[in-house]
Amino acid sequence: MPLNGTLEVDVVKVVRSTVLDASIEDVWDVIRDFNGHDRWHPAVAKSQIERSEPSDRVGCVRRFQLEDGSELREKLLTLSDLEQTYSYCLLDTPIPLFNYVAHVRLFPVTDGNTTFWEWESRFDTPKGQEEELADLVGSNIYEAGFEAIRSHMGLEAA
Amino acid sequence: MARIYVSSVINASAENVWERIRDFNALPRWHPRIADSRIEEAAPSDKVGCIRNFNLQNGDNIREQLLGLSDYDMYYTYSILDSPMPLSEYIATIRLTPITDGSRCFAEWSAEFACDPADEEQLVNGIGADVFQGGFDALKRHFGG
Repeated sequence: MPLNGTLEVDVVKVVRSTVLDASIEDVWDVIRDFNGHDRWHPAVAKSQIERSEPSDRVGCVRRFQLEDGSELREKLLTLSDLEQTYSYCLLDTPIPLFNYVAHVRLFPVTDGNTTFWEWESRFDTPKGQEEELADLVGSNIYEAGFEAIRSHMGLEAA
Repeated sequence: MARIYVSSVINASAENVWERIRDFNALPRWHPRIADSRIEEAAPSDKVGCIRNFNLQNGDNIREQLLGLSDYDMYYTYSILDSPMPLSEYIATIRLTPITDGSRCFAEWSAEFACDPADEEQLVNGIGADVFQGGFDALKRHFGG
């Protein structure tokens, strides 16, 4: 096993987006809570913010367990109620995602009272695993998250 | 500064919509309120800094300068140099973003400008409805939704 410094890695970018049939205020109300994903995301079993900090304190760390028992830690890097966006990075993960930074952004669709939701990230992965990990993040986390929010909010499936 | 923000979902890929709106001289081909347009000094219409000189259906003449154009991010930004409207420092951006779960795209058109507070509401509503939403409605009709 080579040291991290000599491991060959590739940069991967993943972006998924959708339109939800709900106002941006209602969608933001649900997804804004950095510790709230265990209430709606099917992959997340339970989540807590370390040191009992408030979940909207930029810099706070969420420690959460997936349904398969693995544990991850993520840090809140940005939170904006004005722009309805947040970003976070992975600190610890059993999956080989390095330098993972993700952005969640909501935009109002003004001619329909609906919401455009974009979820994207960049990360490094060992060479050869790019496709597998990009698909894991894009499908199992982002797209599954969109569907889970639809069901959580009682919206029609896409 | 007064602000306008209008956004919509168009039933076509971002690439196809971008192909229709990218040309800074193409307003008469896709926007129903524009009668004719030309680029001054015969510059190419994707030369940043070029000026489009166009007439509305009602006869008003407007000159606008291209400040930024990105084929990668699918947006362009422009300013108004001359117009009959009582405003100044007008800068606007039109932008397309793909929606990955279907062949649709998210379209945004926004502007900032200075004006007399007494004129603000009428300018914001007029430009927002007639120019921005009117343009998106025309694109939605063209692309079937």
